[in-house]
Amino acid sequence: METSRSCQSCRNKALVPDNDTGNMVCTSCGVVQEFDNYQAHIGGITGPAGTYVRIGTVGSGSVNNFKENKIFEAQKFIEDFMFKLGLSGSKSHEVRLLVEKITDAEYGQGNWFPVFVGACAYVVMRKDHKMLPIAEVADLVGCDVYELGRMITRVVEFMDFKLPEFDIVNSFERAIKRCPSFGEVSEDVVKKMLQQGIFLMHCLIKWFVTTGRKPMPVVAAVLVFVGELNQVSVKMEDIAQELHVTLATCRRRYKELLERLVQVARVLPWGKDVTVKNILKNAPCVIQYMEMKSLAKCSDKKQSFEPFECDIDGLVGDCLRKEIGYGFDSCTIEDSSSNYFELDRSSNLDSDYPDKFQISPECLSMIYSNFLDEVSLVKAEIGGENIRKRRKTFDLQACTDWWKGKSDLSKKLFLKQILDKDVGLDVMPPSFDKACLAKEKRREKIKAAKLRIQRIMHPEIANSSYRNDLCLFEPEKCEKKKRKRVKVDIDWEDLIIETLLLHNVKEEEIEKGHYNVLLALHVFSDHGIE
Amino acid sequence: MDIDHWSEVNQLPDNLQSLFQAEFSDNNPSPIIQNIVSTVNLDCKLNLQAIASKALNAEYNPKRFSAVIMRIKEPKTTALIFKSGKVVCTGAKTEEASKIAARKFARIVQKLGFPVNFVNFRIQNIVASCDVKFVIRLESMAATCSDEEHSAVYEPELFPGLIYRTNNSKVVILVFASGKIVIAGAKVKDDVFTAFDKIYPLLQQYKRVQH
Repeated sequence: METSRSCQSCRNKALVPDNDTGNMVCTSCGVVQEFDNYQAHIGGITGPAGTYVRIGTVGSGSVNNFKENKIFEAQKFIEDFMFKLGLSGSKSHEVRLLVEKITDAEYGQGNWFPVFVGACAYVVMRKDHKMLPIAEVADLVGCDVYELGRMITRVVEFMDFKLPEFDIVNSFERAIKRCPSFGEVSEDVVKKMLQQGIFLMHCLIKWFVTTGRKPMPVVAAVLVFVGELNQVSVKMEDIAQELHVTLATCRRRYKELLERLVQVARVLPWGKDVTVKNILKNAPCVIQYMEMKSLAKCSDKKQSFEPFECDIDGLVGDCLRKEIGYGFDSCTIEDSSSNYFELDRSSNLDSDYPDKFQISPECLSMIYSNFLDEVSLVKAEIGGENIRKRRKTFDLQACTDWWKGKSDLSKKLFLKQILDKDVGLDVMPPSFDKACLAKEKRREKIKAAKLRIQRIMHPEIANSSYRNDLCLFEPEKCEKKKRKRVKVDIDWEDLIIETLLLHNVKEEEIEKGHYNVLLALHVFSDHGIE
Repeated sequence: MDIDHWSEVNQLPDNLQSLFQAEFSDNNPSPIIQNIVSTVNLDCKLNLQAIASKALNAEYNPKRFSAVIMRIKEPKTTALIFKSGKVVCTGAKTEEASKIAARKFARIVQKLGFPVNFVNFRIQNIVASCDVKFVIRLESMAATCSDEEHSAVYEPELFPGLIYRTNNSKVVILVFASGKIVIAGAKVKDDVFTAFDKIYPLLQQYKRVQH
């Protein structure tokens, strides 16, 4: 085959392309010509064809197109994702099937695909009554919780699924088993913590601490509490990080849990002394009491408190016994070298036979004075830096045997069963309590505003009867206050209430606190609408 | 109170309506309208820069939002004025007040030199709230309230309230554990009260029982 080009060395035009390399070779002298395979890309039907560029080549010799490559990558991603979530092979398969079904076996690419896979994983697990926290999935996907939530809603609506209710107890179980903080804790302790945690979780459901709140911070709070109860050193910060929840919320829920337990502890004989600070020491008693209450049948509850009397006596006796360490004074009195307590106890035991002790009055008075001295010494030791020591050496030896776990509340229950149980406390949600308080406060403000109005409108009557009740701005007092600090008795809210009262707005309406609406309807409407 | 009564009440002037609602609320709780969103077309292209520079009660930051935000005091409302001449008016407490506010915004724009027409005024959304004064077990309600006609979605991981929808209405009701409810998505005031009349007996079923 001859071309228009001639050989560089012999000028012969007999150039042929080499089969292997494609370079031009001179047939007469055999010289390989310089590379010049440039082909002009001229358009049109008659023009030469473009260079074919291969896409999606995997390995040597195999050619995959875009779709196959996309599916391959997507499946690989799903496998990786499931592995990171710690899901088993069957669950992973289910997720893949769901993804395949929704996308018509097209799978997908792009930023939305991980969110979609995360949503599918969540839905599959939730359908199987195994709670996978949204926060955990969202953290793994690297998206917002609400973005993932929207995708979950779309998946559920598309597949027309009916998801079971979110089970906070199940998520607690999952958390305690998977949290690295509890990795080194022995199985027995974990089992006990699980029971205690489930018990507390059920109580919190009953006490409205979980209703309308994100569940995972509550789980974190209970985890920390049962950890402390069983002397497992866990930090709230670590748990919050492991469960992907906000630390501040966990702390708030923890505080709410403690407050509820303090409220339960009010019925105990020493209940007045129980506070949020020392509730952890008293927690075994409180939980025991709650267990006993929950074990009682519903019929007993309404009849009387009698059946518990003997139990409470036993509980109190347990707590006051020296060997049990969860009393207030347990750690210090034992350390003292005094043996009067022994004597005292033996005297209690043998109180039926007081004549057995042959002690003269002088001897008795000496013993008593010595006892007082030692008690004052012990008290002095307790104060100051010993408080810290006491907290550090806080020994929950008794924790190992106080927990019975007999109550049904330490097992999985349906909501109705939980609500039917009595745990010694029945409270309203915190939001409801706050609303009631706010309403009460507004009622007081209305009352005060009415008095102020009455005083201005009828000064004679008001001066005689309401002088003491009013918080009016008095010039005499004002002069004195000027030097120090001016106390403001009336705030913006009082002024609004006064205005509304003067416009004949009903008190019941004002109590609701929708000031903007009431102002718009009753105060500004005269000028604006008419 | 049934729907017929409310339609009669709605024919009264706004002030009397609210008084009537307050009277009625002595016995039963009644929703209070908190916000009305309406739209209107001014039927002309607007120069937002000019509006923002001339009107004192307007703010315009095109990097942040591509509309002029204008506020008036009576009725206390806020309007979003777009370049296309469309206006969204929010914050009114009654339907009448919303229309008056929209007209006031239109008049302001007209005075700034634009050939304004007041076209296609519509109430887009009415939001009302109410306190039923008892605590509601959202978990129980979510478990049993969903059927073919109604849907009750309670996802505490995503939203603290229960979202209640019915198939034959666009109104959405948000129910919170404290007994506060929010009714949104209504186009007419009657829809709000109708929705409340329907949900109130249902809420009473899930009222928290004290042992």
